[in-house]
Amino acid sequence: MSFDIGLIWSRMPDILGGFGLTLVIWLVGCLAGIALGFLVAVLRRNVAGLNIPLAAWMEVTRGTPFLIQLFLLYFGGPFIGLSLEPITAGLLGFTLYGAAYFSEIFRAGFAAVPRGHIEAGECLGLSQGQIMRRIIVPEMAVLVLPALVNMIVLLLKETAVLSIITVPELTMMISAIGSENFVFVESLFLLALFYWAMVEIAGWLGRQAEVKLASFRPAT
Amino acid sequence: MKRRLFCTLTGATAVAGAMSGFSRAARAQDALTQMKANGVLRIGTETAFAPFDFIDPSGKHVGFNLDLFAALGKDLGVKVTYTLLPFEGLLPGLEARRFDLVGGPLTITKARMERYRFLPPVSEGTVALLKRRGDSSITKPADIAGKTVGAGKASAQLAQLRAFTETLPGKTSIREYVGNNEAYADLAAGRIAAVGNSFPNVNYVATQRPQVFEVVTPPFGKKTYFGYLGRKDADSAPLLDVLQAALLKLRADGRLAGLQKTWIGQSIETPEAVTAPEV
Amino acid sequence: MTWQLFQLLVTAAGLTVFISAVSIMIALVLGTIVSVVTLSPKPAFALAGRTYISFFRGVPLLVQLLLIYNLLPVMGIDLPGIVAAIIGLSLCTAAFQAENLRGAFASLPRGLVEAAEMAGFSAAQILRRVRVPIAFRLALPALANEAIFTLRASSLVSVVGVVELTRTAQDLASSTFLPLQLFAAAGLLYLLLSWTIAALGHVMERRMRWGRV
Repeated sequence: MSFDIGLIWSRMPDILGGFGLTLVIWLVGCLAGIALGFLVAVLRRNVAGLNIPLAAWMEVTRGTPFLIQLFLLYFGGPFIGLSLEPITAGLLGFTLYGAAYFSEIFRAGFAAVPRGHIEAGECLGLSQGQIMRRIIVPEMAVLVLPALVNMIVLLLKETAVLSIITVPELTMMISAIGSENFVFVESLFLLALFYWAMVEIAGWLGRQAEVKLASFRPAT
Repeated sequence: MKRRLFCTLTGATAVAGAMSGFSRAARAQDALTQMKANGVLRIGTETAFAPFDFIDPSGKHVGFNLDLFAALGKDLGVKVTYTLLPFEGLLPGLEARRFDLVGGPLTITKARMERYRFLPPVSEGTVALLKRRGDSSITKPADIAGKTVGAGKASAQLAQLRAFTETLPGKTSIREYVGNNEAYADLAAGRIAAVGNSFPNVNYVATQRPQVFEVVTPPFGKKTYFGYLGRKDADSAPLLDVLQAALLKLRADGRLAGLQKTWIGQSIETPEAVTAPEV
Repeated sequence: MTWQLFQLLVTAAGLTVFISAVSIMIALVLGTIVSVVTLSPKPAFALAGRTYISFFRGVPLLVQLLLIYNLLPVMGIDLPGIVAAIIGLSLCTAAFQAENLRGAFASLPRGLVEAAEMAGFSAAQILRRVRVPIAFRLALPALANEAIFTLRASSLVSVVGVVELTRTAQDLASSTFLPLQLFAAAGLLYLLLSWTIAALGHVMERRMRWGRV
């Protein structure tokens, strides 16, 4: 294999820069996506008029390719006065995409909170807000954790698609180095190993978190 | 868990090593024999390189390349097939023997000549800048200093643009695009100040959308030529010899100049053989 | 955006449907095999199955497709880009389907398998007649979801030279300067196809009511 360690070493700043950007977009996008997804799930549950429009929005996001959404946002955006830089567009697109999946997870979580717990809260004279804050959300958080962790890990490798709209993340940086130095297949192997290791590590961290939080699982 | 990860990683590296060893061992039939046996000339090209190669609004694959390869195919009595890839996929595809000649065409550079064999040039490829029509902040190439400009990822035009911006004061940032069309779209949208591409390309784009774009004259790059290229190995040599002879015939009987006039707007002085490139 | 442009997109969507449908079928078969292998009592088999799932779930499809496209010919296997695309999509989807089925296999009621054993079924018969059909029934919603994922993932295959729906929209967006309209229309077609898959999933669920456990 003609892959030169010296070449990787000499381009280390670029590789690390791409790696850093991948991590930042992934983490920030997931946090923002979870917040937005939660908000959507709550609104759909509690504000009757919003259920249908939000459901339609989620349906569109989940029924179309991420790449098409990015193209619409990035190349279509300027035609409606929304001209975003690649990183901004990438982060926004990634957040919206993730939010659709997170909101579905939260919705399933809300539905899984035992009805009796809510009724118990009502009997104790808690307000709707208190029931939401003190009973539904904590119970749901524990219930949805495995699905949430799984989704977060899966979204890590979706960030590779952002390279197509010129976001200088890991895939973009390593494949550019490969192209400039005519080491195509080698750079692909490097990319595959990079992502595989990242996903395995993220999955391992997620499982640790799940084990820690499993003790809070409500009795059903 | 850590051990499992380590095992899988070393395993994958071993597989990778074995496969590349395989590549050296594998020997296909020589490319000319293959072309004659199948009656097919296999070309790999990108469709984001107007006027050389693009998709027209009716969905048809057209351009300078198509007409030229059709003429070559007719002379050689073979059918031409195309593999349409993003630009950065072309050289890997050639090395993987997905096809025997890369359309494009590509700028003839020293680095590429070391690794591939170019056919005689079909056009000049000197790099020029495209700007938004009426952008008075750019009247000569050096005016892009401190702005953001774009070029195709892994292209020779990008390398030249990079070299050029390094001579300019301030920090000029360069954005790399998977396809040139996306770079033009970003220029139109105002995300970047200029696109660096060969003069024939930017000139074509400017004539297609004169209300939107304008070429910054003069071209800033070193004088370069565009050519088609194939693999440098012994298997490909006989095929490339045949293609070279056929291409020189098109050049001699004026068909090449005719195609240049049709697609680029003027006939272009190109040398009969690849000369030592300046870049 | 004219009717003619839309028709070009619809034609290209045909290729998207073809690639996705074939990949979904292959992935179902392959995913079943992988999940059975993963649950094998032999540690080597189980490790092989888990490694397969881990790799194909962990590496971006974009990278997988490029690897397959550029490696197969080097190994002397000369397959057109569309076949490389189908192989890539199938291998990746199979890993996800295997994971879905693994969950279903794990939650099979023990009593059903025991009953089949008592009735004198061989292990292979139990797998074919009892475990696989019931696991499929249990995993059906997840399997259908994954099939929709395959459809959407097929938007990436243009990197190996397949001019399908997304790539056609991209090409036409460049030549007509109508990116908003073309990508929106392409999105609409994907949405319709996703709905079709979801509807097929529901029909199958209804048909398989017999398997309620």
